[in-house]
Amino acid sequence: MKPKFVTRQVGNELILVPLSDNVAQMSELFTLNETGRFIWENINEKTTVEVMEGLMTEAFIIDRETAKKDIENFLKQLETAFQ
Amino acid sequence: MNSTNITIADFSINLLSESPISLEEGYLPFINEDNRDADVTIYCSSGIPSTPFENTDKLVFEAKNESQRFYSIFRSGSQLRFIIYNQQLKDTIQQVALLDESYSAWKVYSDPDCDGTLSPLKYPLGPIIMHYLTVKSDAVIIHASCIFDGVKGRIFTGFSGAGKSTMSKLWAAAGNQIINDDRIIIRKRGAAYSAYNTPMYYNDIPKKTSLDAIYLISHSPENRMRKLTGATAVSRVLAFCIQNNYTGYFIQNQLVFLSELCAHIPVYELGFVPDTTIVDYITANER
Repeated sequence: MKPKFVTRQVGNELILVPLSDNVAQMSELFTLNETGRFIWENINEKTTVEVMEGLMTEAFIIDRETAKKDIENFLKQLETAFQ
Repeated sequence: MNSTNITIADFSINLLSESPISLEEGYLPFINEDNRDADVTIYCSSGIPSTPFENTDKLVFEAKNESQRFYSIFRSGSQLRFIIYNQQLKDTIQQVALLDESYSAWKVYSDPDCDGTLSPLKYPLGPIIMHYLTVKSDAVIIHASCIFDGVKGRIFTGFSGAGKSTMSKLWAAAGNQIINDDRIIIRKRGAAYSAYNTPMYYNDIPKKTSLDAIYLISHSPENRMRKLTGATAVSRVLAFCIQNNYTGYFIQNQLVFLSELCAHIPVYELGFVPDTTIVDYITANER
């Protein structure tokens, strides 16, 4: 999945530019805040939501419910890039 | 061999041809006797090749709309091959151009005009070549108007109809200089950023200003502005840069350039009423 994006970190945030057939979809680029960037950096195709919740509650001062919401928001953003 | 030098945004371009070269009106003020080594060389050749592209070429990008193609880009070995279509005569090839892998040497094939001259920079190849001037340098080309008020240079960018030309007219009416109202090249020169006009369809002299602020504009019932920072500023400016976005390499370069640019030059989102109050509003509210 990650090779389908061009990325650039700016401060604590991350810009993601989706590539479709190697063409950048400039109208669909989006930015991730610090939490989103953490998920992006730690996610892979085998990562479960539960594992990511655990990683997030260790890295940030948040409960599992907040972590789950952040993960769901992140996944929704990714979905829109490929619709 | 006929040789013509033009300088666009401090990029030196040398056109070479066995046939006489003819340039569109907008390029004429950019001709000079600059003898420094050219950043880009354009070899102009007479006649469109009977085989404009090879079977092994791979199509990587097409600029087109519902009714016609404007140009196609093929990867041809280590080179890029551009097939430029005539915009009045659908699917008729107007020019074929080859660009080497260092983005510094073009070979442009054109049929001669009625007077026997070649017009290598005929639209849209001229602006395409301008774009490729920027991809190997600390530079971007952006849809924007640009104004110099004697102290500061400001860029106004936005979607079509957002008011770029209106904005430049309002600043000009207040006694300021229009650098250009459509297409600007931004370059990093040393530690500073400069904005340059580019040749248009009309006659205008080469102009340059320091770049001190970037505005993302739209019409609004009242004047309002807010400063953008970080990834939001970078991604919003990127959306208005001119690009052939068929390779992540170009996008990555632009992201690197723009993230440095936006760390040094303030970026504002600006809603404006199209009257002269906007000039004073901006100068009073910039931080």
